[in-house]
Amino acid sequence: MLKFLRKNGPGYLFLVPWFIGFIALALGPILVSLYLAFTKYDIFSPPEWIGLENFEFMFLYDDRFLNSLQVTFTFVFLSVPGKLVFALIVAMVLDKGIRGIGFYRALFYLPSILGGSIAVAILWRQLFDYDGIVNAVLAKVGIQGPYWLNDPDYALYTLIILAMWQFGSPMLIFLAGLRSISPELYEAAEMDGTSKFKQFYAITIPLLAPVIFFNLVLQMIDAFKTFSSAFVISGGSGAPVDSLNFITLYLYNEAFTFFRMGYASALAWVLLVIIAIFTGIAFYSSRYWVYYENERD
Amino acid sequence: MTLTAEDHQAAAAAIRATRARRARRSAIIKHFFLASCTLIMIYPLIWLFMSSLKPDNQIFGDLSLWPSAFQWNNYPEGWNGLYISFGTFFKNSAFVTILAVIGNVVSCSFAAYAFARLEFKGRTILFALMMMTLMIPYHVVLIPQYLLFLQAGWVNTYLPLIVPKFLAADAFFVFLMIQFFRQLPRDLDEAAMIDGCSPFKIYWAIIIPLSLPALATAAIFTFIYTWEDFLGPLIYLTDIHDYTVPLALRSFLAQDSVSQYGQMFAISVLSILPIILFFVFFQKFIIRGIAMSGLK
Amino acid sequence: MTMNRRKFLATTAATTGAAALSSVGTVALAQDRQIRHFWWGNPERDRRTFGVIDVFNGKHDDIEVIGETLGFGDYFQKLTTQVAGGNMPDVIQQGYGIIFEYIERGAILPLDEFVGNTLDVSNMDQSALDAGTFNGQLYAISIGANSHMALYNTEMYAAAGISAGDGFDPFGWTYDDVKRIGVEVAAANEGKYGTDDNTGNYQNFSDYIAQNGVEMFNADGEYQVTAELVIAWWELWKDIREAGATPAGKASAGLVANPPMAEWGVVSGNTATSYVWSNQLVGAQALVEAKLGAAMFPNTPAMVPGSVVQPSQFVCLTRDTVDAEAATTYMSAFVNDPDMTDILGLERGIPANSVARAALQSKLSESEAASVAFFDGIRGKTAQLPPPAPSGANEIEQTFQRAATGVLLDQDSIAESAANFVRQAAFIRRRAG
Repeated sequence: MLKFLRKNGPGYLFLVPWFIGFIALALGPILVSLYLAFTKYDIFSPPEWIGLENFEFMFLYDDRFLNSLQVTFTFVFLSVPGKLVFALIVAMVLDKGIRGIGFYRALFYLPSILGGSIAVAILWRQLFDYDGIVNAVLAKVGIQGPYWLNDPDYALYTLIILAMWQFGSPMLIFLAGLRSISPELYEAAEMDGTSKFKQFYAITIPLLAPVIFFNLVLQMIDAFKTFSSAFVISGGSGAPVDSLNFITLYLYNEAFTFFRMGYASALAWVLLVIIAIFTGIAFYSSRYWVYYENERD
Repeated sequence: MTLTAEDHQAAAAAIRATRARRARRSAIIKHFFLASCTLIMIYPLIWLFMSSLKPDNQIFGDLSLWPSAFQWNNYPEGWNGLYISFGTFFKNSAFVTILAVIGNVVSCSFAAYAFARLEFKGRTILFALMMMTLMIPYHVVLIPQYLLFLQAGWVNTYLPLIVPKFLAADAFFVFLMIQFFRQLPRDLDEAAMIDGCSPFKIYWAIIIPLSLPALATAAIFTFIYTWEDFLGPLIYLTDIHDYTVPLALRSFLAQDSVSQYGQMFAISVLSILPIILFFVFFQKFIIRGIAMSGLK
Repeated sequence: MTMNRRKFLATTAATTGAAALSSVGTVALAQDRQIRHFWWGNPERDRRTFGVIDVFNGKHDDIEVIGETLGFGDYFQKLTTQVAGGNMPDVIQQGYGIIFEYIERGAILPLDEFVGNTLDVSNMDQSALDAGTFNGQLYAISIGANSHMALYNTEMYAAAGISAGDGFDPFGWTYDDVKRIGVEVAAANEGKYGTDDNTGNYQNFSDYIAQNGVEMFNADGEYQVTAELVIAWWELWKDIREAGATPAGKASAGLVANPPMAEWGVVSGNTATSYVWSNQLVGAQALVEAKLGAAMFPNTPAMVPGSVVQPSQFVCLTRDTVDAEAATTYMSAFVNDPDMTDILGLERGIPANSVARAALQSKLSESEAASVAFFDGIRGKTAQLPPPAPSGANEIEQTFQRAATGVLLDQDSIAESAANFVRQAAFIRRRAG
């Protein structure tokens, strides 16, 4: 027993605050939402156990659910890689000595500061208006722009562009990661005449892998849970014709507009399982490409 | 063949010259790249600022960025536009946000240190559970969580907004710090351990000083997320005297009456100033770990 | 498996470990006769309502009213959370479209036992009382009347030589007039259009249903609208659109699902006419430089009334009230006390209390006066208020909007979309029932 404590004690001790928070604040609500997924719960009256009915309806009859999955997946697979590549490029440019770097960093973070606020919604709807700036610029190069926000074929792309434009948070994390790579490694490579490109994939990528991995997992989880930008830009409804009806937006409306909290919980748990599967794949794959300095031997 | 000292010097000089040329060229390219990106990045702020100076009937239906008449009044009128002055809302936001930053950085670095550097039974399963809290959509735990805080008597206080931060409730930050802590050379802990340092001493004297960039990043994010958080204050604060800035901002717009767009934009401009100030100050810590390069 | 509400709350609290937390919690000191009033607002309404609360608290030493306010978009999410927590404020604001969901589920209490005691309704219009009565019991006190209103840009109309009384009867125009005027206004205003496209405007569609003598729901709550009626509606607007009175279908598709006020045709300046609620006139006018005129929604030549006058907002007593007598005393003062109604003015709509209304007559602003004139104009031309819509009505409206967007985008044929919509509406009612 003493031996067990000596070996594990410090770890548990440092985990105490988190563990209290997890048990007292997080675990209970999560379990309740799992229970609600098997009930009919209109919020006004107590939940009523209905077994698998919510899931049956979801997978067998609910076209809007299938559509929301498609919207969500399209968004995740297009926005996450785009955002990460963009963030990494900018971070690398900013990492090297450059005058006024603090200024640029703050600047590049600006779009992310505006987040999913009402101001951004108004701005975005004006930019992508049929007579807006985006189409004006396209017209200059001879392209007739579409009705971005009215046409279900295009509306999702405006949100993807918005997500990519708000690349500040992964950029900052990349930057912090780049800053923890020893500059001497690059100096030595330079001495050996190693090309910049080779330096990038032989030094930067491997040493940055833990941070790349972090950004990949977190941005993916975030993208699966995208809510506020879709909510404010579509006015809460996922319009036009459900093309912005992300699964989180769908479950929000099911819960708070139509008072079907049980069904919303079931939707949430399906989303959770999807996210968990993709996160699991990412963690599994990380064994092959993410190495940590201290665990290399 | 042996190289003389002069040969070495000449080679070094040549490398330096090439580097300087390359650096100049790449600096120009970089500035050009940055300047053009800057335009795209800064546009929203210019737009926001210009909109904050427009009269309400010019914000829509007129695509020009330039106000027809500069309505500086939007600022003082917006500041005092609601039943309570925005001074109160800014004070409330600052209170919640500063406590959140302190709580988050301390509690998350504790948990991250345990996960990243210490051995204990059940680490994998606890880590997986922590990640799960990130994956559940917030809206379905909102009601159970509300019931919980209601029973605790915490509704209509700042406690639901602050206490979780001291309990490392946001797994995002724990995971972020884990990734950085795992990068630090393990020899450091081992050497310190042999010298008889306690785990806490190692955490405090080695891990924390070496992780300033990660901690600064976490501080910046916590500040921004908390300052802008709207859902938490919406659900838990009921007294208008306790409202935070984002919650109060939304009162300017109405669907069935007069909306004060110009004032809303003016206060929006003011509300991002603290974020920028905090950002500019703390981003200085995202520097190359000074100790790191000396250790190799 | 079922359990009662209290038990659910307790179980949830236990699961979530609340007991452990409550020992550290700060429990608010419960004061005697303290009641909460919660409303959705805006800066002006908030100032007035807090002012009214101050007046009330000054007159009643034994009761303390606490005001709580949020924007409309956030109000219902918070209220729903409070419903779940069993701590709704004593007095809440409700709208006509959604109140029945709350009454049906027992969240709002009947007021009959307070009438004549703490609650004085003697000066209230009978129509307003009827609107707050469900299944023979009074549940809600109207604090402002509302009706459908077409807003038109008088300058753009004048450019085409059209004004009220001259080629245009604001209180009796037809869909043919909409088309004719729309085309003329479009021609007179380069690059602009005469009217918004109402293919997806469910409010206008609900007028059209009544104008055709159909009741939206029958006594059993079945949706009575036929595919033929939907087809006729969409064909009618297709005709107006193809005549050039409205913007292209794709341009209108973005404005179907409750667009922000800023994007209404009449506010953005894109078109000369938008179809909204009368209590939105003042807000819209503040965003537009040109003077806006008010008209009824259009009708068919038979002029069967379609629009109704309904309360825009109610005050209600919730099941979570801690002091129903104090709460109803406050509700009564809210609609009767001249010192209070004077502060409230017309901000929430036209008061249903005739005495209060008369007292305000001399103090109206220009756009408020326009609202009052509008209500004078529609007298006798509105329909009987239908019984409140059953659960699911809200969802049917959203489904209609999605189908209409498809029609505007030319993605689906009108006949097919209409048949689909009617099928879905029936399903929504079955699921809700």
